[in-house]
Amino acid sequence: MNILEAAKIHKSYGNKFNKQEVLKGLDVTIKKGEFVSIMGASGSGKTTLLNVLSSIDKVSYGTITIEGKEMTAMKEKQLAEFRKNHLGFIFQEYNLLDTLTVKENILLPLSITKISKSEADDKFNTLAEELGIYDIKDKYPNEISGGQKQRTSAARAFIHEPSIIFADEPTGALDSKSASDLLNKLSDLNQKRNATILMVTHDPVAASYCNRVIFIKDGQIYTQLTKGEESRQNFFHAIMKTQGVLSGVQNEH
Amino acid sequence: MSINHLIFQNLKKNLKNYYLYVFALIFTVSLYFAFVTLQYDPAMDEAKGSIKGAAAMGTASILLVAIVSIFLLYANNIFIKRRSKEIGLFQLIGMTKGRIFRILTFENLILYFSSLFIGIFIGFSVSKLIMMILFKITGVETAATLRFSTEALVKTVVVFSVIYIFIMLMNYLFIKRQSILSLFRVLSSTEEKVKKVSLFEMIYGILGIFMILLGYYISSKLFGGDFTTMVELFSAMVFILASVIIGTYLFYKGSVRFIFYVIRKKKDGYLNINDVLSLSSIMFRMKSNALLLTIITTVSALAIGLLSLSYISHFSAEKLAKNNVVADFSMTNKQDAENFKEALAGNEIKYNEKMIEVIQVHADLEEITEINIEDLNADPKNMTIPVISDKAAEGIDLSAEETLFTGYNDTIQKFMPLKSSGRIELKGKNEVIPQNYLGLRKEYIVSFRFTSGGFPVGIVDETIFERLKKDMNPEIQKESTLFIGINLQDETKMEEANDLFQNMNFTGTNDSVLEMSNHQKRNMGLIMFIVGFLGLTFLVTSGCILYFKQMGESEEEKPNYTILRKLGFTQGDLLRGIQAKQIFNFGIPLVIGLAHSYFAVQSGWFLFGTELWTPMIIVMLLYTALYSIFGILSVLYYKKVIKEAL
Repeated sequence: MNILEAAKIHKSYGNKFNKQEVLKGLDVTIKKGEFVSIMGASGSGKTTLLNVLSSIDKVSYGTITIEGKEMTAMKEKQLAEFRKNHLGFIFQEYNLLDTLTVKENILLPLSITKISKSEADDKFNTLAEELGIYDIKDKYPNEISGGQKQRTSAARAFIHEPSIIFADEPTGALDSKSASDLLNKLSDLNQKRNATILMVTHDPVAASYCNRVIFIKDGQIYTQLTKGEESRQNFFHAIMKTQGVLSGVQNEH
Repeated sequence: MSINHLIFQNLKKNLKNYYLYVFALIFTVSLYFAFVTLQYDPAMDEAKGSIKGAAAMGTASILLVAIVSIFLLYANNIFIKRRSKEIGLFQLIGMTKGRIFRILTFENLILYFSSLFIGIFIGFSVSKLIMMILFKITGVETAATLRFSTEALVKTVVVFSVIYIFIMLMNYLFIKRQSILSLFRVLSSTEEKVKKVSLFEMIYGILGIFMILLGYYISSKLFGGDFTTMVELFSAMVFILASVIIGTYLFYKGSVRFIFYVIRKKKDGYLNINDVLSLSSIMFRMKSNALLLTIITTVSALAIGLLSLSYISHFSAEKLAKNNVVADFSMTNKQDAENFKEALAGNEIKYNEKMIEVIQVHADLEEITEINIEDLNADPKNMTIPVISDKAAEGIDLSAEETLFTGYNDTIQKFMPLKSSGRIELKGKNEVIPQNYLGLRKEYIVSFRFTSGGFPVGIVDETIFERLKKDMNPEIQKESTLFIGINLQDETKMEEANDLFQNMNFTGTNDSVLEMSNHQKRNMGLIMFIVGFLGLTFLVTSGCILYFKQMGESEEEKPNYTILRKLGFTQGDLLRGIQAKQIFNFGIPLVIGLAHSYFAVQSGWFLFGTELWTPMIIVMLLYTALYSIFGILSVLYYKKVIKEAL
């Protein structure tokens, strides 16, 4: 079953005379339960793609359908509503509200659903245990480490069981230990909860945790790699190789 | 890009951002100019009434300058901090501090002095209107003319130029002290870090609420008879002031945070968007503004309180005069009364006349006074009270053993509460007549000339009255023992009669209700006008400061709005949260200010007039309405910021 279908999406900035085309007719399809990452060099349009797919930005033309609903036809207000109920977000800069405790941050998306408090508590407890942040639930973001912040951010994305979770360079600001921690947790959650995750990254290690990697170059899909039954190690090497070909420079990182 | 171009660009940008500052500047200048114009206007002499009135105007104009200059300096302080990034950038590209200072000075010069002249123009145009308002509330009948006063112009320009120099001095020191790095950091360092509520804060919080309540409690007891000597009364007042002001400070420092913390704790992490935007944000910010908020609250409470009291006084002038004078014209001299009646008859003004004999006797009231009043320099065993016969009081018929008191006022009742029944003794020069005291009635029967400033009048049976009259002690009698009340049959002739009354040559002390009420109105009107003027200036300036603070806050919180909007909260959701936040932000200082002034007015209003609720509520509603404008403006600003956030 396809969760997300994007067809022929174009995105350009600027005006008639000075147009910068960032996305040039991309087609993306993501199935339920997939963990997909988008890779590409700086300026290849990967973040724009993510923003467009996640409805934060509008496409110039083309259609995006999530769970059978065409988002490109929705109005601003409907889009917000849709984001609230069906999408989850993890950002590079954590994007936690620093006046709220960890628990309050995580429960934020639930506050608009009609879920009871005890049910919300249950959800929070299991998720926080899984991500290993239960002990810091009453702390404020400036009292915890970057890894913990990002796990909090991940918990916030998962709490309302969205149809799809968008992650923009989630490991970008983390040290390698915290990064692998987070990625392990993400792929755990992906398997246990059958959650669909779309992640933008330029880190091949991070990408190797996924089922599938989409490479984009100059606003178009360059190639795709599927992990299949391979080990993560082999998949990582495959990614490195493709990236090398893609950028023309071996071992960029 | 030349420097001039830069200055011009900055000016354009700033005008859009700081329109309210410019507005406040223009507003304060016009208020000041109008006020000073009034001060120098010859037509004002009558409204000012006396040397005292002129002195009050003079003092008020100094206070006005103080409020305005504190406001302008404070506002400038906020703005220079907001522009520190820009200043840092100038420094980074190699501009010297002196040059930056010159740019700022020039930029401010244009902004400031154009506002100044617009303000003067507006002040000039509204000065006639303001004068008309003043004449209206003081009851002076002089035509208000539009008159440009050179003295006022000079004074305004001088005062505001001095303030300008101070502002520039402040900017100079600010630029001088900063390095490039610290300029970039300045905003973030002023806001404190988000922390858990500590035990100390909880204690502060509880202590703050306790102190405010204690102050309120004592204020309600202030004139209740628990504090009888002047020293006690004075210390109680000082204590109330200290307790409430410190309490208010602690309230902002800890209580708000503590209360919000408890609410949040109850929600156990399950906050909705309104809570997120209001509770959690205010919880961390109100603390750092504690001092500012305390000052704003205290001064607004003062303004509302004084305005209420003077309005109460103004509002009750007629009733008070009626209580004091009793009849339309009260006279104590028979010959004067004859002359006046002749004059009335000559002008075909019909009237009713009432004559009452009033004598003063000593009375032993010990048994019916509720508290020890020796401290009031009065001996309850030997009080001098006026006595009249029951024949003079309509609808009252007493037996020879009975005495009824009538015409007490709230002030005396507070200081000397009387029981509703008991035994008293009336003492003539030689004879002592025991009487049964039946209680107090409200009506006033004789004028205040006979009642030593508000003591009740004793009504006794005709026979007793005759006995007392024969035996009266000449030493304690007033100048006259006869009260002559003249009431007009046609109230519309009141002014005409009053004019006649004023032009008579009287030998005794005679009073006219209209004259007394006008006199009261004139005195209180001027005070009310001045307090209102100062209050308005303060309201506008403090409202602006809160608004500026909110402007800064909204920009600091912009990243949060971005996150929330990304998460799928609509602009509408956020705006509702912001509205809740602003209700707290503006509402808390307002409600506390109103509560403070309510208790202040409540404790002593009866010294000023007879009517509490109507005038006080009018003043409070007016203040709230004007104050709310700033809250609404700030919500509009937030709306803009939220819109730009995604």
